[in-house]
Amino acid sequence: MSELRGSAHAFREVLARDLRVYLSYRSRLASQALTSIFSLTLFYYVSQLVHVSGFDSPGAYFGFVIVGIALVGVLYSCFSVADTVRQELIAGTFERLVLSPFGPVRSVIAMAVFPLIYAFAMATLTLAVGWAVFDLQLHWQTVPLAIPAMALALLAFLPFGLAFAALTVVMKQGNVGTSWVIALISIVGGLYFPITLLPEWVQTAAKFQPFTPATEMLRHLLVNSPQATSALVTIAKVALFAAVLLPVSIWALRRAIREGQRRGTIIEY
Amino acid sequence: MSGGASASVRLEAQAPPVAPASSGSVSGLVAAEAFPLSLEGIHKRWRKDQAPILDGVDLRLDLGTKTWIGGRNGAGKTTLLRIAAGLIDPDQGRVHAWGFGPHDKRSRYHRLVAFLPAGDRGLYARLSVRHQLRFWAGMAMIDSAVRESRVEETIDAFDLRELADQRVDRMSMGQRQRVRIAMTFLPEPETVLLDEPLTSLDLEGAVVLDRAIDRLIDRGGALLWCSPSGDHPEHEFDSDWLLEAGRLVAL
Repeated sequence: MSELRGSAHAFREVLARDLRVYLSYRSRLASQALTSIFSLTLFYYVSQLVHVSGFDSPGAYFGFVIVGIALVGVLYSCFSVADTVRQELIAGTFERLVLSPFGPVRSVIAMAVFPLIYAFAMATLTLAVGWAVFDLQLHWQTVPLAIPAMALALLAFLPFGLAFAALTVVMKQGNVGTSWVIALISIVGGLYFPITLLPEWVQTAAKFQPFTPATEMLRHLLVNSPQATSALVTIAKVALFAAVLLPVSIWALRRAIREGQRRGTIIEY
Repeated sequence: MSGGASASVRLEAQAPPVAPASSGSVSGLVAAEAFPLSLEGIHKRWRKDQAPILDGVDLRLDLGTKTWIGGRNGAGKTTLLRIAAGLIDPDQGRVHAWGFGPHDKRSRYHRLVAFLPAGDRGLYARLSVRHQLRFWAGMAMIDSAVRESRVEETIDAFDLRELADQRVDRMSMGQRQRVRIAMTFLPEPETVLLDEPLTSLDLEGAVVLDRAIDRLIDRGGALLWCSPSGDHPEHEFDSDWLLEAGRLVAL
């Protein structure tokens, strides 16, 4: 069997395993869907209640924040790969992956796929409920373009999850700062409010990460939010982050595993 | 049988029962002049202020042979197996199986060498036996033409048919051990490293393991089995060794 076909099959097996494990917890889907819907309801009424500067109408802010809520789920999914690695270390399955021909690096990348597909589905559900129940004004002409844009955004976000997975291999902790990093990204990425409200220096710092342009790009495509720069420049920025960060994070993960093998700590958990 | 400047020991070749590995008996994966396992001058020290756990271990397994290594708890048997499997690196020394190193040709190495760690870990609790085996068949990158049949054959070979659709977290320790052993033999490796494989196994499980080892030896593979000194299995081994003070001593 060619290496490529074998890898593709192994990739699918990881996906199938994650789906099976997910489905074995029967109430998880309903619970997470309800959480998403409650969050949506909360922000709908907040948008009705509070006038947010920079938005013409409550509906405009609701459209803004609903995309942010959808992306928070995607962010959590990106970072969840670190937690999955932690579980694999505890279960002793990680060392089996290290010893498998498919190998640990490709396995960890594959482990990120199911949560991302799931987050994509939950984001779609969030937007659909927003549209059907809360009169979210979707910009239908550009909504289909949001799919490849989201795929690009995921490629730019995933390196952060892989980097934290590498940290988990080294530190043996699943939550090596992921919570506060996600909270920080939520602020500087402009997920809940525009970053123009933030101090100047934070706005400058926000230029050096992919979350702000990716969020802007998706908001523009989904709810026709105005963009600070042209769509092409935004796409180029996100693509550049993905092109640079992805190989770096894969290198970091490979390095963390090899270092663990060299020092013998790969067997610890 | 013993030799080497470091007074370590070497398991010398016995008459190979099958064609040499260079004949391509292992799916064309094997390099010339290859042994199922070759450890040369293996040193490993866990802490600088402690004596080395492995202090120049030399060991070579030959085609179609079974080797047992005993030793007290903490003697370094598991460390040696982990190094042989390519899970951890030695501080010094060279590890080779069938002509490949665990890191220079990692994918090939891990297709040929399988390791059963001690204990009851390494299973996905919420997957059934069949799904578990399918998953590891995928990770082993077993050829798609035989993958599904190999999974079913393994289920039969390890008497797991009745448990095939049962989740692992609902099984007894002995049943889980049987699944772990099945996972180890699933890719049909040529070198098998077993760390205390009889843990929790009943008599039937031990017989199933024996059969799997016989098949391995019949196809010219090699077995390395480690267990505590007072726990020598009833198997007949081609060589018995004791790991003591970081070195192998012939028994």
